[in-house]
Amino acid sequence: MSGSNHISRRDFMKLTTGAIGGFIAAVIGIPSIAYLISPALREDKAGKPVSVANLENVPVGKPYPFSFTVTRVNGWERTSTAYGGFILRRSADPADVLVLSSRCTHLSCRVNWNDEAAGFVCPCHDAMFDIEGKVLYGPPPEPLGHFEHEIDGEGNVIITPVEIKEG
Amino acid sequence: MNEETKTQINAKYERELQRGERFWPDSIYKDAIVALGIFLLLVMLATFVGVHDSPKADPSDTSYIPRPEWYFLFLFKFLALYGQIPILGKIEWIATVLIPGVAIGILTLLPFIDKSPHRYYAKRALPLAIMFIMVLGIVLLTMLADYPTVAHDGSGLPGLIQAVAGLVVPAIVYIAFTVMAYTLRERAVRAITVTAALGGALMVAFTVLAMVAFPLPAQETAEVPATLSDQISAGQDLYSIHCVECHGDDGMVEIISGVAGLEGKVVSIINSRDVLYTVNDASMAEIISYGRPDSGMPPLGRAYNPEGLTRAEIDYIVLFMRYTWDDRFEAPYIPPLYPPLAEGEVPTYSVHIQPIVKRYCISCHRPGKDSNAYYMDTYANILNSGDNAGKNVIAGDMNSYLIQTIQHTEILDADGRVLVGVMPPTSQLKPDIIDVFIRWVMGGMPE
Amino acid sequence: MRALWQKLYGWLDERIGFDDFYKNLLDRPEPRGNWWNTLGSASLFLFIMQVLTGIFLTVYYNPSPDHAYESILYIMNDVQFGWLVRGIHHWGASLMVLVVFIHMLRTFVTASYKYPRELTWLVGIGLLLITIGMGFTGYLLPWHQMAYWATTVGTAIAGSVPFLGDFILQALRGGPDLSALTLQRFYAAHIWILPLLLGGLIGFHLFLIIKHGESHWPDKED
Repeated sequence: MSGSNHISRRDFMKLTTGAIGGFIAAVIGIPSIAYLISPALREDKAGKPVSVANLENVPVGKPYPFSFTVTRVNGWERTSTAYGGFILRRSADPADVLVLSSRCTHLSCRVNWNDEAAGFVCPCHDAMFDIEGKVLYGPPPEPLGHFEHEIDGEGNVIITPVEIKEG
Repeated sequence: MNEETKTQINAKYERELQRGERFWPDSIYKDAIVALGIFLLLVMLATFVGVHDSPKADPSDTSYIPRPEWYFLFLFKFLALYGQIPILGKIEWIATVLIPGVAIGILTLLPFIDKSPHRYYAKRALPLAIMFIMVLGIVLLTMLADYPTVAHDGSGLPGLIQAVAGLVVPAIVYIAFTVMAYTLRERAVRAITVTAALGGALMVAFTVLAMVAFPLPAQETAEVPATLSDQISAGQDLYSIHCVECHGDDGMVEIISGVAGLEGKVVSIINSRDVLYTVNDASMAEIISYGRPDSGMPPLGRAYNPEGLTRAEIDYIVLFMRYTWDDRFEAPYIPPLYPPLAEGEVPTYSVHIQPIVKRYCISCHRPGKDSNAYYMDTYANILNSGDNAGKNVIAGDMNSYLIQTIQHTEILDADGRVLVGVMPPTSQLKPDIIDVFIRWVMGGMPE
Repeated sequence: MRALWQKLYGWLDERIGFDDFYKNLLDRPEPRGNWWNTLGSASLFLFIMQVLTGIFLTVYYNPSPDHAYESILYIMNDVQFGWLVRGIHHWGASLMVLVVFIHMLRTFVTASYKYPRELTWLVGIGLLLITIGMGFTGYLLPWHQMAYWATTVGTAIAGSVPFLGDFILQALRGGPDLSALTLQRFYAAHIWILPLLLGGLIGFHLFLIIKHGESHWPDKED
């Protein structure tokens, strides 16, 4: 075997070994990423309208708290998560209604209505929103989200349980 | 081993290194090619063979026949055969602990037992022969694992032949090896080789005899519903067999009517939110399993009823209820049992009848069940099997037993005794399914 | 750019010493090998595949009797490439037992367990037994009928030891019967105890192989 031949044979072996390693890494690596992020690629099917309150019970001008649960099938388990919000009747007109989410836009703590301060207070990082959900002070970057709603003939407030962010 | 031998061994190894190769890339290159082969093999197996799971574990189902992973099968068979030896076979721990323990002990301490410095095969007849018989025994016992030791007529002959192949011959060969090694010393090589070859041939011969004389019985392979929609369909099948009578097709029944012994009983409306929102899956499964004996619901689970449903089957029923009635769940797409029939269309076995039979009939009408020996597992069997062969389905004849019984007309013999009861025994098929059967029989039972 | 790369390489080389690695690990002289000599590295490759796919499986697998079976159905049906990861792990397990066993046979036939490689053999038998232990503990995890009843019988075999049998049986099962405790301890053994032992012993096995070199194929002189 001549010297140059020997070197090329060695190089061939090195190259083949590297190629095999790369091939196996790729065939394992690419599906692995899809495997790991798989749950993030599923579309969220939550969104059946739920009835959360009757307008009869909701006072005008004061936020009325409500909550509802959404059951999601997460893998082998079904999880019921509770969400909350406030119904605000701006006037006696049944159409003049705003449904706010109680999820603080800063880091998802739940805000409470504070009568004295006349605003929604977030207990986590001292933030405050006004009655329409606009930021008064504190770290939240945007106003409270809201839910799309409908009011049926009997005055039931029916919301689509997908929070819509402002701005 | 003395220092001189060690020096010799090391010097020989140095010479081998001189005319050898380099670890990188020569050895690694070969390793990489083998790794690639293994990898491709694994991907192919995963893709084209897949993993065959059995149903979910059910501690209450004592009828399940355990089967270990394939690499323990030889041990499994060994224990079964050992247990047949009179007297000694009753001392279980000899086979389960002592013999495997000694074998592993010898294997572990091999370098200290086999102290000869020789490595060339011709100088190691005894250890190679022992290992050969051992490995051959393991392979043969693995192959025999599924063959029963008792024949249909209860004779122990199959077990005896298997024991000769897997226990007796190896034992005799090992005794012969020991005797030869001690009596013949250096001249034992040929004797040992011949004995090993002869013994091996005998073992193979008896194994083949056991396999040919008493062939493997046909095995039922139950298909396990693996996807959610399959499980929901399976749950619907089971619901339609076990629950419909009292609770109705849609679970809306409040007062039972038309069921002997339970007439007028009040039952929960099981498709209501009151039930579905407040009873979780585990409780629901328990209710189905234990029943409500005080209110008249019989226990359906195998834990309380020897002929009852397995835990997995009960879980399928719960899934079916959830995904059909619970408005918090969105059912996946479930294909219809059979494609709907057009006006005047004649259904065929493969497209329409087979899936219906699988859902409503085959649980009783298959080999291994009594059911008048009428098997509905294949097209040929549906047409012509069982005690009433030839009368069950007759082309164009509304008096075919099948057509009569599914419309809940009993078949009576000459003395007025019931020959064939109504089918299915505890409920009635839906009218559209009965219609499919009628059209099929009247249309000449096309395959 | 190239200068930066060289600088980085130089910095690392000074501290790690790639040359030593190359000389001592890769550029070693070896006896002329044949394809039977690849069985050990094939076992190692399978071990690495099992570790990788095993780690991936733990992302979704849930070791409880209530959810083990369902979580595996989820992996097989809903997770992208879940069937591939589980399939490779399932078949890799069988193949690993087979390859490790044949590797042992090869070592036996070429008598490579003799001086100076007695300890390598001893460790190797340990690796074989732990590999079988991995198969045994892993078989229960899907918590299906076959797994449940096979493990019932398998642990009962260990329970037939004279005098200590009942104690061993209960220690293996975490109680008199198979239960959530059994599944949990088999899981711990399968993903922590046995793999760590296996990994450690593989390291020792490899160290001994590098120290003594691979044995040569015996000829008439040996």
